[in-house]
Amino acid sequence: MSGKYVLIVDDDPDLVETVAMMLESKGFEVGRAYDGIEGQEAIKKRQPDVLVLDVMMPRKNGYELCRELKASKWTKDIPVIMLTAVGDAVPTTSYSHAEGMAMEAEDFIPKPVDAATLVQAVERLI
Amino acid sequence: MKLEPHRIRVGGLKILEGGACVVASFPQDEGGLAARVCTPLALNRINLRLFSHVAADREVLCTVAQAGEAAATLIKTQGGEEAAVHLHPAAAILSLYPHDKRPEVVGSLIRSLAQDRVIIHGLASSPSAISAVLSSGRTGIAVRRLFKNFHFPAFESPEVFFAAQAPPEELVRRVVADYQEKVVKVYCILPQPDLDLWGMTVSSSEILAGFADALLELGSLDLQIPFLVALPGLGGKEFILSFSTAGPPERGAEIRRILMENLPGRRPMRLTPVAGIFLHGPHFGDRYGIAQALVESLEKAHIAILALSCTISSISLIIRQHQLAAAQLVLGHTFASPVESYGGGA
Repeated sequence: MSGKYVLIVDDDPDLVETVAMMLESKGFEVGRAYDGIEGQEAIKKRQPDVLVLDVMMPRKNGYELCRELKASKWTKDIPVIMLTAVGDAVPTTSYSHAEGMAMEAEDFIPKPVDAATLVQAVERLI
Repeated sequence: MKLEPHRIRVGGLKILEGGACVVASFPQDEGGLAARVCTPLALNRINLRLFSHVAADREVLCTVAQAGEAAATLIKTQGGEEAAVHLHPAAAILSLYPHDKRPEVVGSLIRSLAQDRVIIHGLASSPSAISAVLSSGRTGIAVRRLFKNFHFPAFESPEVFFAAQAPPEELVRRVVADYQEKVVKVYCILPQPDLDLWGMTVSSSEILAGFADALLELGSLDLQIPFLVALPGLGGKEFILSFSTAGPPERGAEIRRILMENLPGRRPMRLTPVAGIFLHGPHFGDRYGIAQALVESLEKAHIAILALSCTISSISLIIRQHQLAAAQLVLGHTFASPVESYGGGA
């Protein structure tokens, strides 16, 4: 997967490093951003081949960023994988999985992330 | 050699306010870390926002402010008359990331805090972040100084950073919502063998000067520091430093020289080889039961934890290298981890 660029956007820096390590070990080039707005800026500088996007983030959450990307003709074709802990694991949060499913993200992977599942999802979308 | 600090580009900064910090010391280290600290806190569901430990000596932990006194009382009760426990009732955790295991990032953080005489109540590392425990009233000045010494691409100024902070109730809700498992899930359990563990005691003024200078100089060696904790003495006069280095063994003499040049009169102790284990999970930011499960399982298997650091969403521990395989086996049975292994160094 040499030359393929994956951008990870998550406000948990340890998770970003874990996912980056998983993907780098498979030959991907990996970019890192730590909230939705920083992710948005990173995409303006370089469009990723795949975007791995967390749901719950400060300033701009993953659903908001995904919605904006899919509404723009410049970014609508970027494949998005959403990492989500919402749903059965987090019943009390205000984030809803149903909202995410309507966001046109290409894939949803529940946390905790399984390495094989994530790498397969990225490879499938490239 | 004194290296001038430069503005280092890092990804981000987090401030966790509304906490309390407990520093505990047990001259007679009996009963184990689980029995003395982790189990009583877990039974009382006291969250550990940050937890650091150096074997046979002392611990620093942070809880929410409302739980600080209860945590201090529980630890004092378990430790008996010999235990010395001190409570800082208003503490905040400042975390900088990613450090990329670069000593100069940690050195520049310490130097930044020293420039404004911000007292550090403890330092703890995760695989991506370095956290400092501060008094709550000092976070504003600390952040402003950090913006002079670091470049944060996501934030143009301290004001932009402050405006972006989530309200405290949101953070509490997220923690309550996230942690519901009986067997804790973990993203990965990463071993890192062939480390050196360095330990030394320095005065409080030295950690804010000499140790920062030593780290900045170590940065020029292209050396990695995957683990670091600093725990203060109860009188605030000294710090215990414990950190690991990754690199060729022959670097040991050079590291010792740099430490001794910058911290004259101190004797750095080196233990080699040791191994690091780094665990990271979705609920590791809230870890009263997680730290307890980890420490208890290792102690039952007679695996000695030489040093431990919990911050952000990871637990990092240092053990003797010959116990690494046994520790991995124990932790693999203690936590629910993905089948796929994506090993390698942390």
